[in-house]
Amino acid sequence: MVTSIEEPRIRPEWLLGGAVTLLGAIVIIVVTLVLGSGEEEPVVTPADATELTAGTCAEDLRQPHWVPDSVRRAVVECPADISAGIGRTTAEDHLGTWIVYPLDGAENQETFRGGPGPAWPEDEVRSGAYHPASAITYVAYPGSAELSDEMSGDNVMVEWVDLAESGLDARVTRVDNNGFGPVRVEWSDDAGSYLLLGTMGRTPTGGSGPTVAELIRIADSVAAEDE
Amino acid sequence: MPTTRTWLQAGGGTVAAALIIAAVVQAMNSSAMWVSNDPVGECGQTSGGAVVAAQNVLSASTGLEPVDGSWDAESEVATKAFQAHNGLPVNGCVDTGTWVTMRAYVISLCDPEFDCRGPDHRVRYAAPGGAREAYFADNDCDWGSYVLPGVAHTPVTSNKIMALSRDAVVEIECEG
Repeated sequence: MVTSIEEPRIRPEWLLGGAVTLLGAIVIIVVTLVLGSGEEEPVVTPADATELTAGTCAEDLRQPHWVPDSVRRAVVECPADISAGIGRTTAEDHLGTWIVYPLDGAENQETFRGGPGPAWPEDEVRSGAYHPASAITYVAYPGSAELSDEMSGDNVMVEWVDLAESGLDARVTRVDNNGFGPVRVEWSDDAGSYLLLGTMGRTPTGGSGPTVAELIRIADSVAAEDE
Repeated sequence: MPTTRTWLQAGGGTVAAALIIAAVVQAMNSSAMWVSNDPVGECGQTSGGAVVAAQNVLSASTGLEPVDGSWDAESEVATKAFQAHNGLPVNGCVDTGTWVTMRAYVISLCDPEFDCRGPDHRVRYAAPGGAREAYFADNDCDWGSYVLPGVAHTPVTSNKIMALSRDAVVEIECEG
């Protein structure tokens, strides 16, 4: 009896199927890579906000350790820069250091298109559609013990708030225009006096800028972790 | 009969009291000037130092140009945009509520207890092309606006020209 053993054969349809599968996999990988490359790198908010001023003149300044998640960067202006900007009319050691934290998000972006004028539709202007970018301004005056003169006015609300973490008191000045308007938080400690300024802005979709609670939390973070 | 010593004591006390009262009044007037700019626009002045002060803030907040102390349609639109974003009634007039709101954006450049020379307060807005700024000066008797760039600077009440770009900045003079 003769038994014939057939050699294993690769059937053509298998080859075709494998090739199609491989090609499909490659297409999927390539498409995924191409689409992925268009996405922005995930933004990582630093664990400590002082990292935002690393390498600047504010590096060793007493400053916020916490900022809202919508803050991705900081712009530092040193006393030397400010002095140069005002014609060097005053000693640098009496000038404050400014740290400006721009806020991310569509509602916080500047919406001006050209200068103010007839090209800005009246109804859009009235809705708050034309507004500047939102930012939180922090100014430190090292060695100072005083705050600015207290504001007054029918739409001005001034109150002193306990900063829970640092144990300090801060003066919160709100110019309250139907829930919107600028907010100033000012306080002092053994190293100097400080100011935070933000705007609770009105926009067509609601609001922009930081909340009062966020500004107070920023203020509280300045001294809390330095001690 | 009062003695000479009594007269001297009484006179000295009167002078000291007068000086204290004058200092308090001066301080109150100084604060009042910062928070009570004259109304500007259709409801008030349309030219002069008060207009410059309002336009100066509007230049920083909305990009208004030029800041020349002459109220115009562009200034009114800028005011409306400022008012709307700050929750104010939108009427294009820099009334007291609007000016107080503008004033809240003014930040001291120097230590609050230090008497800076020249421009010592600033409004600063972050902007895509770089910050927009407006400068002011303040002392015990008066305050005024610095307008960049150039030398057209118009204090509100003393009507004295102050130049930011000149070698020697002219200070506001307190008379009397």
